[in-house]
Amino acid sequence: MKTKLLTLTLTAMSTAALFAAEAPKVGAPAPGFSLSDSGGKKHSLGDFKGKYVVLEWFNPGCPFVQKHYKSDNMQGLQKQFTGKDVVWLTIDSSAPGKEGYLTADEANKQIADWKMKATALLLDPDGKVGHEYAATNTPHMYVVDPSGKLIYSGAIDSKPTANPDDIASSTNYVKVALEEAMAGKPVTTPTSRAYGCSIKYAQ
Amino acid sequence: MSALRGLTLFLALLLLAPAPAHSQKYQGRELVDSRLLADVSSITPGQPFTAGLLLKMVPGWHTYWQFPGDAGIPTEIKWQLPPGWKAGPIQWPVPLKLNEPGDILIYGYHDEVLLLVPLTPPAKIDSTSVALAAEASWLVCEKICIPGGAKLQMELPVGGESTPANADLFAKYRARLPLPLPASAQSALQWSRNEKGFRLTVTDKSLAQSAGVDFYPLPESATVIGHPQRQGGADGSIVFTVPIEAAEKSVQSLDGLLVDGDHAFSIAGSRPGPSISAIKEGPSPNGESGLAKLLLFGFIGGFILNLMPCVLPVISLKIFGFIQHAGDNRARIFGNGLAFTAGIFAWFIGLAVLMIALKAAGHEITWAFQFTNPYFIIGMSAVVLVFALNLFGVFEITLPASATSGLLGWSAREGYAGSFFQGVFATVLATPCTAPYLGTALGFAFAQSAAIILLMFVAIAAGMSAPYLLLSAQPAWLRFVPRPGPWMIRVKQLMGFFLLATLLFLLWVLGVARGVDAAIWVSAFLLALSIGCWMFGSFSTPVASRAQRSVVLALILVLVLSSGFYFIGNKFGASQVATSSMTKDGWIAFSPERVQAELAQGHSVFVDFTAAWCITCKFNEASVLESAAVKDAFARYGIVKMKADWTNADPVITKTLKQFGRVGVPLYVLYPATAPTQPVVLPELLTQTLVLDHLQSAAPKVAATK
Repeated sequence: MKTKLLTLTLTAMSTAALFAAEAPKVGAPAPGFSLSDSGGKKHSLGDFKGKYVVLEWFNPGCPFVQKHYKSDNMQGLQKQFTGKDVVWLTIDSSAPGKEGYLTADEANKQIADWKMKATALLLDPDGKVGHEYAATNTPHMYVVDPSGKLIYSGAIDSKPTANPDDIASSTNYVKVALEEAMAGKPVTTPTSRAYGCSIKYAQ
Repeated sequence: MSALRGLTLFLALLLLAPAPAHSQKYQGRELVDSRLLADVSSITPGQPFTAGLLLKMVPGWHTYWQFPGDAGIPTEIKWQLPPGWKAGPIQWPVPLKLNEPGDILIYGYHDEVLLLVPLTPPAKIDSTSVALAAEASWLVCEKICIPGGAKLQMELPVGGESTPANADLFAKYRARLPLPLPASAQSALQWSRNEKGFRLTVTDKSLAQSAGVDFYPLPESATVIGHPQRQGGADGSIVFTVPIEAAEKSVQSLDGLLVDGDHAFSIAGSRPGPSISAIKEGPSPNGESGLAKLLLFGFIGGFILNLMPCVLPVISLKIFGFIQHAGDNRARIFGNGLAFTAGIFAWFIGLAVLMIALKAAGHEITWAFQFTNPYFIIGMSAVVLVFALNLFGVFEITLPASATSGLLGWSAREGYAGSFFQGVFATVLATPCTAPYLGTALGFAFAQSAAIILLMFVAIAAGMSAPYLLLSAQPAWLRFVPRPGPWMIRVKQLMGFFLLATLLFLLWVLGVARGVDAAIWVSAFLLALSIGCWMFGSFSTPVASRAQRSVVLALILVLVLSSGFYFIGNKFGASQVATSSMTKDGWIAFSPERVQAELAQGHSVFVDFTAAWCITCKFNEASVLESAAVKDAFARYGIVKMKADWTNADPVITKTLKQFGRVGVPLYVLYPATAPTQPVVLPELLTQTLVLDHLQSAAPKVAATK
């Protein structure tokens, strides 16, 4: 009985410790990872040393994600920056059976339907990478600089609504961070409060 | 485009749901049922009441609190009220803390919530009923999230007997609103911040001993935080740590709720620096009555300036002035009183105009700022010395004969001019003393428009000159003053020594500000100036020939200018701003960071904002702060003593003074370790009892029971 309680406590504590793993801090090295994309190809963060990398947490069912895709805002950004040699990784951490979970085929269909322009759509059904980054929202955005340092973490823009009409009047933090970093300037807003749907992680 | 879309949506919603309640359909289910309600059956003009947005969620789904947590969006209400109506902020019932898979923490409401909004109708309503409309928008989530919204309206009759409506529902959610934290428990909360996060220590026994007590944060939008964690602290206290992902340096604490089971207390973290409302002393000036009150404070402050220690040397001068007047006729005495008053007004109005001009030029202007400028002090020293020499009889000021001839009442005019100048002179020496009230009044005035600054200074001038004007109008009160006679020469000379004492003080200020050498160079210039005065008095008398007078005047000019150029321009100009020599005898130099550091370690801190040229400060220090009893109390209670030396107008100190609504010294602030965000401001004239009482109240409990 006592041992059982102890085991339980220890399990609870280690789980808590796992989840309580601190969110990666802006200015610190971005946690490394390796994930398969919708075509089955492996991508590691380490492969992209020397390039800016954008991480975008994704759930096609989430109205906040839809806000930026149905308005072509996200695809526009993806196109603009991949055109400037930026690696754009869209990551889906929805667990199987939950909203936003995509099989490889569904993912490819989604890319075609929405004309997504990301470098790759990575599948993270066990949520490991999502937890590594302490990602909580879709969309939740991160920018990694060529040295592997995290330079932005947070929302896509300054207006936390699901209304596409607000995009025009908002400040896109990801765009600003990339442009400032590329110009050698410090990032004005390196951290913001992400907004959107909660990521549909496994239990 | 968006207006058109909104209109289409509105029309569609109207067709779908003609009733005031609106629904949100998802897979054939209504997710959220929304409705506007009021807690009264009819509106009484001018009488505030409470409206409510009732949201009913289907089981399993939730909407969000004011701070949604890791994800989600708070519910919003945009009112469309008739003209003259006012809506207050949403009063949010205490939310549920919900955990979603993947350690996503959110704050929201299941099943049903009533968001309360205070509404105030105008005092006069012409129609018999009023339609109140609002656009509500929310995010509702279960396994997925769906944004929803509705245009809602309620129609209420105006007038008649107003009875409570929806009483049960409003009562239920009113009971779930957080309560303000009892004053007694305020001191039981302490915030600190380090690189990793905020730290809230709760020492209140009833709260700390409750197993379920939790902290729900309400961070500002630019503050990004992690999940609050609860820990047990030392001696039964509890500690909440909130990791920081992003927060401005100035943010030292968070607003939020201390939730304990069914009830919750609303706690407001301190704003950067002490907010005026957190300071116990001082009225919060607003509106016209605030202005009237402040003008009164200005008047009283001006009056008290006459009694302040820093005016003492000049008071004797003024008394001498009245003795002179005693022999004159009434009209003349009153004329002199008016001239003296005019002098006071001229100085203050001149100062006000200068302040307004400098304020417009964007400078950081503070009360007594002129005394932080060494050249002003040199100028003052020269004036004081010349006056003293004049009183000693080294030289006489006489107007050229041409000005005297043909003019009747010459002496009267000279008297008025003299009185006018005395008024100016007395005031110049008085300004560095911010008398009680004056600090508050001026702190307020500097944030105001030019007109109010001017008014404020006029009020001070009126206060300061009132007694003189009264005495000159009622010269009967002067009958106690001795008759004029040869003794007046002796009194005059004695006054000269008082002025020399003032000069010593000014030189000491220069010494503190710029070092001993600098003070000596200024003295050398003053010596040359004295010789100039002597030459003027001895060789440039009215009986001397015009040629002689010209030569002497030219020589004086050469002497004063060349010595001024050499001693002041050259030698003094090269001197450096001296480092403060005031930090000794257990006093340490003030810095805002140092205060925070000491408070973080649980030490109470006393700060003496002072300056070498502030006689009130020196008086307080010598008679109270350095007295054996007070020194002993500082040591016994372990209170950290800091000195903020403003002699050279240190900008950091200027900023801190401003945070307390002050524009000058002295200022005495006690930061109790038990309530570091609520510094106590002590009056500007200290007494031992007063300081001892305050020190004891800030003493750590353990030490006090020893």
